[in-house]
Amino acid sequence: MFRKILIANRGEIAIRIMRACKELGIQTVAVYSEADKNSLHVQFADESILLGAAAPKESYLNIDKIIDAAKQTNADAIHPGYGFLSENASFAAAVDSAKLTFIGPSADSIRAMGDKAESKISMKKAGVPTVPGVEGIESEKDFKKAAKEIGYPVLVKAAAGGGGKGMRVVNTESEMIESLEAARSEALNAFGDDRVLIEKYLPNAHHIEFQVFGDKNGNLVHLFERECSAQRRHQKIIEETPSPLLTSKLRKEMGEAAVAAAKAVGYFNAGTVEFIVDPDTLKFYFLEMNTRLQVEHPITEFVVGLDLVQWQIRIAAGEKFPFTQKDLFQRGHAIECRVYAEDPAGGFLPSTGRLLQFIEPRGPGIRVDSGFAAGNEVTHFYDPLLAKLIVDGENREVAIQRMKAALSEFVVHGVTTNIDFMQSVLAHPDFQNGEVTTRWVETNFNWKPSEPTLEILIAAALADQTITNPKSKISNSNEPDPYSPWKAASGFRN
Amino acid sequence: MKTTFDQRAIDLTSNGKNYKAVLDDQTVDIEIVHAENGKLDLLIDGNHVIAYVSSDGAKRWVTVNGRTFVLTKSSGTASDSKNRRSSAGGEHASELAAPMPGQVRSVNVSEGDAVSKGQTLLVLEAMKMEIRIQAPFDSTVKSITAKVGQTVEREQILIVVDKLES
Repeated sequence: MFRKILIANRGEIAIRIMRACKELGIQTVAVYSEADKNSLHVQFADESILLGAAAPKESYLNIDKIIDAAKQTNADAIHPGYGFLSENASFAAAVDSAKLTFIGPSADSIRAMGDKAESKISMKKAGVPTVPGVEGIESEKDFKKAAKEIGYPVLVKAAAGGGGKGMRVVNTESEMIESLEAARSEALNAFGDDRVLIEKYLPNAHHIEFQVFGDKNGNLVHLFERECSAQRRHQKIIEETPSPLLTSKLRKEMGEAAVAAAKAVGYFNAGTVEFIVDPDTLKFYFLEMNTRLQVEHPITEFVVGLDLVQWQIRIAAGEKFPFTQKDLFQRGHAIECRVYAEDPAGGFLPSTGRLLQFIEPRGPGIRVDSGFAAGNEVTHFYDPLLAKLIVDGENREVAIQRMKAALSEFVVHGVTTNIDFMQSVLAHPDFQNGEVTTRWVETNFNWKPSEPTLEILIAAALADQTITNPKSKISNSNEPDPYSPWKAASGFRN
Repeated sequence: MKTTFDQRAIDLTSNGKNYKAVLDDQTVDIEIVHAENGKLDLLIDGNHVIAYVSSDGAKRWVTVNGRTFVLTKSSGTASDSKNRRSSAGGEHASELAAPMPGQVRSVNVSEGDAVSKGQTLLVLEAMKMEIRIQAPFDSTVKSITAKVGQTVEREQILIVVDKLES
């Protein structure tokens, strides 16, 4: 087993990985940028190393600096988390060359799946169903021709991509040039590679993915599905498992396809095979494979009962995965809500600022994976994910009720969040019936924030009369207003 | 004491430990049971209400029953914001501001250029997203106040355009 692991990430996922390390008795090293020097993940680690400036290229995307940090601290393995360098084959190779262990798949597997065009070709070969489309074309003329053959709407997306970046829906030929340009420039910026591919766009599809897990001895299983159809801007906001759409027959077929997809690239460690499913025909198509730990892995941990991060570490250290497919089953229902610093009423634009209050919910069946606390700054340099709220329950109905109750206890002041928005999604009949598809938020859900109530105005006015700094401790001597509610509080306690 | 939030006036008067609030035509009695570090434990006409409140300049963040609102205190400031808007030059000039903090990735036009409605003038990158600042109408570029690579704050003016007379 490893003695010390460096976590090449930040925020909630860095902390989540450090928890697994601590439970396994492994020392942890955090790396951080100048913008993150007061972050929770730095405080949580046994040691920490400053990488550089806030811009990701100077810090969390800088391979040389991260490897140096690992050598300097005598770490023997690196966990990349998700995002940043987690799906960068050169990084995995550089970790190997430095005689360190990369906690994830091989650089070859990452490379094979990282290229969306290449992976589609190898999936077709492995007999995994793929979305109709064309790879390897470049000219605008060829894209227009391909789109005509496939039939609009089509999707142009980065060959090197993922996470909704470098991706555009094209509805008519007149939009093709601008969309191609936008997808290419975003792709170049995000992945350093401007190749894009084109495929049929299925507007009313479910996004359902399968968690796969394998060891270095060729044992490979799936840990069932995650339903991730509730999305905005092609990015997930609510995930759940089991999927309300799948029958046990379809689940079995898709699970087998996921395992076949992973086997085709010699996969080991944790990975996710994403499919889109047409709810009318129940046909499924391979979308892509994410060769890393997924943001939404906790819902799988709840229903399967395994700690995925601990197993990632154990497998990377050479242990055998002791479970076969028949040992694994789903129990109960789990849901995750991604609490983002963003404004749902303003096109989901990210919101930045200092967190004035940050109160997480607690209770039976509630898990919060977060990387923030009151006083922290939410900057524009990184992803606007504040926290993941995960609940489980004996069935879907119980889990939804539990999530609604938990969301209503989550208090975030200082940045705008999507908490009220997600509350409304959960309460919607389409969500409760399991009928949400990937474009549902965009096309069927016209959300508007509600008007402030009498209680809200009273609370604002009360606080307004008296407080200048809500984070300062109440003290009698500094309180000029004799009728201040804060003063009343002091009197109450005395 | 009268305070206005988002155009709604609320009048609070204290009588020792308790308060009376008048909003629109409604009057309610408020008792503060406990108050600490941005959390108010209240009885409003006898009903128990827990409110979380934070202040940031003129903004008030308030959460009650799991719903969070950002209110802007507008007493005495309504005329200020009007003045600020008219200084932008009325209907003929428009200041295009950054919708969020970020970095200027490209400036696609020069001062004096004629641009058409919807044309991308500048591209901003923030939180790994690309945000296109587009011309609101057919216009000429009056001034450009942002440079490529520059880090800009939310609502910082990037470009000023003059509307073309039709």
